[in-house]
Amino acid sequence: MWWKILSVVLLIYVLLAGMLVPLKSGIQRAEPAYARTKQEIAVRFYGYNTMFSKAAASGIRTWLYYDETYALAASRCTALNDTILEAVFRMPANLPEGRQSAYLNAIIDHPAAGASLLPAAVELTQDSGIVAATLDSAWTARPVHQLHVQTGFSFPYQNVIYESIRNTYFHVPMWFVLLFLFGASVWYSLRYLRQPAPENDRRASAYAGTGLLFGVLGLLTGMIWANYTWGKPWSNDIKQLMTAVALLIYLAYFILRRSFDEYEKGARLAAVYNIFAFASLIPLLYIVPRMFASLHPGATGNPAFGSQDLDNTMRAVFYPAILGWTLLGLWLANLRIRYQRLFDKAMGLD
Amino acid sequence: MKFFKSRIFFTIILFLAISLPAAFAEGNRDFMRETGKINVVVAVILVIFLGIVWYLVRLERKLTKLEHQTKDDQ
Repeated sequence: MWWKILSVVLLIYVLLAGMLVPLKSGIQRAEPAYARTKQEIAVRFYGYNTMFSKAAASGIRTWLYYDETYALAASRCTALNDTILEAVFRMPANLPEGRQSAYLNAIIDHPAAGASLLPAAVELTQDSGIVAATLDSAWTARPVHQLHVQTGFSFPYQNVIYESIRNTYFHVPMWFVLLFLFGASVWYSLRYLRQPAPENDRRASAYAGTGLLFGVLGLLTGMIWANYTWGKPWSNDIKQLMTAVALLIYLAYFILRRSFDEYEKGARLAAVYNIFAFASLIPLLYIVPRMFASLHPGATGNPAFGSQDLDNTMRAVFYPAILGWTLLGLWLANLRIRYQRLFDKAMGLD
Repeated sequence: MKFFKSRIFFTIILFLAISLPAAFAEGNRDFMRETGKINVVVAVILVIFLGIVWYLVRLERKLTKLEHQTKDDQ
């Protein structure tokens, strides 16, 4: 009983914190996104969740950042409104290391909202082929210093993803619940093979069925998100394909169960099949996706996301989300087991 | 009450869930993408909720059938 209450309390917390905690501020794009050397140029930065006009004129500092030694500081920053900042740069005569062009990252430092970064914001191109021996003074000697850090509870800002980073608490836990329930299912299948009691078979099939529900929900929610991030719901991404294969393997488990007239024979074969299904789940969801390129967030490294995709603020919501959703999955599976127990008793099977 | 257990009801719910966001998107092209794609998160939560409701409806339908069967036996 207590774990059902815990599940509800955790999920209420996840829903509230997951939806109400704001995102950190970030830079969406820079206009113009290209510049030539020796040019004086006003670049407009379009921010997200920024509070440009709520800082003193001297408070906001902006750089175009080449590397740790070379950066261009803006001579003047003007906030046009809360989300548009105009920064004036005097471009130098030469690029570092005798390069013909380079992508410069933008860094905007706000005293309250903290520093935000836009990679490859402006492309700087050499105006003439003449490369001077020394770099001029537009490149600051001590580039980026004393950045502010945003205080308070907020989720990381990521371009393209924006607010949908909150799906980490709704879409991602589906796969944790699926793995937990499929794991419980194979555990009871193994027990059924050692001791063919109907209770073991009931549990194995109920856990697999509920796991399948969460798998389908994970796939559907992923497709909704993909539609507005990748442009279409299904793009044959390696993670989508392998998940579909894994779910079809588990669908076959239920077809196999029902294709025998004799109950015990069906339950026994389904239990053996379940072991193979679970054994194939691990390579399908955890090994193969690591071997191919994927558009999925956190594609570099872990299939779900690496440590760089999850900061401590997100962990404070993500871990309770996993526990809450898993307990809810357990609850749903439990109802199914109890129904099946009554059904089997009424049919004289147990 | 019977209506709420019928397949028609379920189909209507499913149809609404799929077509409502599309209808919003029709009127305002960027409904799902504006305000930082927050409506994608709302749609995701809605789908999970409907999935769990669908699971409960199916279980209830099975339970009703079992209740009728055991009543006949007595």
